Amino acid sequence: MGARPRLLLLLPSTTYRAAAFVEAARRLDIELTVASDHTSVFAAQQPERLVTFDFASLERATGEAAAFASRHPVAAVVGVDDDTAILAAAIAEALGLAHNPVAATLAARNKHLQRLALSAAGVPVPGFRLHRLAEDPEAVARSAGYPCVLKPLCLSASRGVMRANSPQEFVAAHRVLDEILGEPGAAARGEESQQYLVESFVPGPEFALEGLLDDGRLRVLALFDKPDPLDGPCFEETIYVTPSRLGGAAQRAVAECAERAALALGLASGPVHVELRYNDAGPWLIDLGARPIGGRCSQVLRFGRGPVVLSLEELLLRYALGLPMPTFEREAEAAGVMMIPVPGAGVLRAVRGVAAARSVAGVEDVVITAHVGQTMVPLPRGARYPGFIFARGESALEVESALRRAHACLGFDVAKDGG
Amino acid sequence: MDREIKITAEPIDGRRCRFVVSEPLLDGARRFASPDAAQGSPLAEALFGVPGVTEVVVSGGTVTVSKDSPASWQVAGKEVGAAIRKALATGVPPIAEPSAAVSTGDEVLYGRVADLFEAEINPAIARHGGFVELLDVQDGVVMLRMGGGCQGCGMADVTLRQGIETALRQRVPEVAGIVDITDHSAGTNPYVTASKK
Repeated sequence: MGARPRLLLLLPSTTYRAAAFVEAARRLDIELTVASDHTSVFAAQQPERLVTFDFASLERATGEAAAFASRHPVAAVVGVDDDTAILAAAIAEALGLAHNPVAATLAARNKHLQRLALSAAGVPVPGFRLHRLAEDPEAVARSAGYPCVLKPLCLSASRGVMRANSPQEFVAAHRVLDEILGEPGAAARGEESQQYLVESFVPGPEFALEGLLDDGRLRVLALFDKPDPLDGPCFEETIYVTPSRLGGAAQRAVAECAERAALALGLASGPVHVELRYNDAGPWLIDLGARPIGGRCSQVLRFGRGPVVLSLEELLLRYALGLPMPTFEREAEAAGVMMIPVPGAGVLRAVRGVAAARSVAGVEDVVITAHVGQTMVPLPRGARYPGFIFARGESALEVESALRRAHACLGFDVAKDGG
Repeated sequence: MDREIKITAEPIDGRRCRFVVSEPLLDGARRFASPDAAQGSPLAEALFGVPGVTEVVVSGGTVTVSKDSPASWQVAGKEVGAAIRKALATGVPPIAEPSAAVSTGDEVLYGRVADLFEAEINPAIARHGGFVELLDVQDGVVMLRMGGGCQGCGMADVTLRQGIETALRQRVPEVAGIVDITDHSAGTNPYVTASKK
């Protein structure tokens, strides 16, 4: 192996994460090979740097990675989302590199396997039952307690997750879920797309913990408040603000709950993104991903309080490659991001007020990722944000206020008839 | 009466921010990597007076500023905006013509890079409906802008760094770096659109 270690980065072609990870690799001056599910136009000219794997088949992709590594030795494999975390574990296992157990990453992605493992380990999770879509929804509705939450096993970012307060709402939600899981992308999951969970609704504010596992120990990188209530009928995530305003004892309880959950799943190393609720009974584990925070949200995280400032991606790549870790400490400022809610169903015709939103005190950036002509699809069916707002300030309250004021400046012209 | 100059700040990341100015600054593009290089160009000189500024790229009506200070663009942007207005208020052309001594080497590089773009890079990315425009070469640094299917594409950075930059370094090793001034938020037909993960 040469002096510069080679990192194999698994990037789905539809990820928001490409720019942040590629930039982190560039700053670290490592040999980077990007593996994607879609062939790059430069794949033939740059076979050491751009490769195509069949992400839909763990076995084939692992074989393709092993063949590549036999020609170009790889020092670490990194995935960026739930699916590529599994693939990264499988490839690392095949190459004899440090990795999480494949079964642990599979259990983290599949909501039912995750619930089974966590409840067996005594980690507080909502009550849950697995059902098949083919079951009579009215019969399942009669057997459910209310309020409850219908949750697909294999989708991300609250897609397909719906609350029902009555059997009538349950049946209506089931109909929508059936349609979502019948779409080609979801249906390709096979058996996972034929099942769903019915969970008890856990009241209380929600939090997101960004962490790094090292030999089974959880290092909390950031704890985010989600100040907008997530009470349904859909669970659209909007604002994340850190540091959390949750009390110190509660924060410790949340971190302990997240660490127990990771251990229960068998995860031992690398990033985790954990969603939890907290109420009078303490923390509740809602979801744990063996991956870093999604979307472009990582842009709010900066580590280091001296001259060296690291992005989350740089920190994760350093960890994966066994490079020195200059810091794990987040910057002193409060920071936050708003995932801009989908303004309505239809075709995006124009976005107004971006300059005004950027001029709001505390706002660092407004990024519109949707393009004119793009079809906007709200939850529970949608899979894309219109964009992101980023802010920093002296306090979490100040940051939250800046995000809301900036969002109020924005206007989206959406043509409902597509014309 | 003083003319009104509108400036919009569009942060790219913590280090770089693009400033869109309501009037043209330069026909073409120029990059300044140090205060010395900025001498004679009032706009670039003024911008290097802002604490922490390390690089200035002027292209048409936009100025892309890089800094190494931890100050947020909320703070630094106001100083940059004031510097731009001050420089334009003088009535002197904001950017001077490059000196012949500097431009000769860059002109040779420009030609080689342009040839590579025409013969290999653009035919390749045209397969995904994209193109890349060579704006200038200054001090060995290539300034470019992506368009079509590349503009706003979720994998544009992979194409740029793993494809275009690598090809440039292999085929034109004298290239010292790449500055991409693409406004990806203005893309209307990206080849790949990111989705929630």
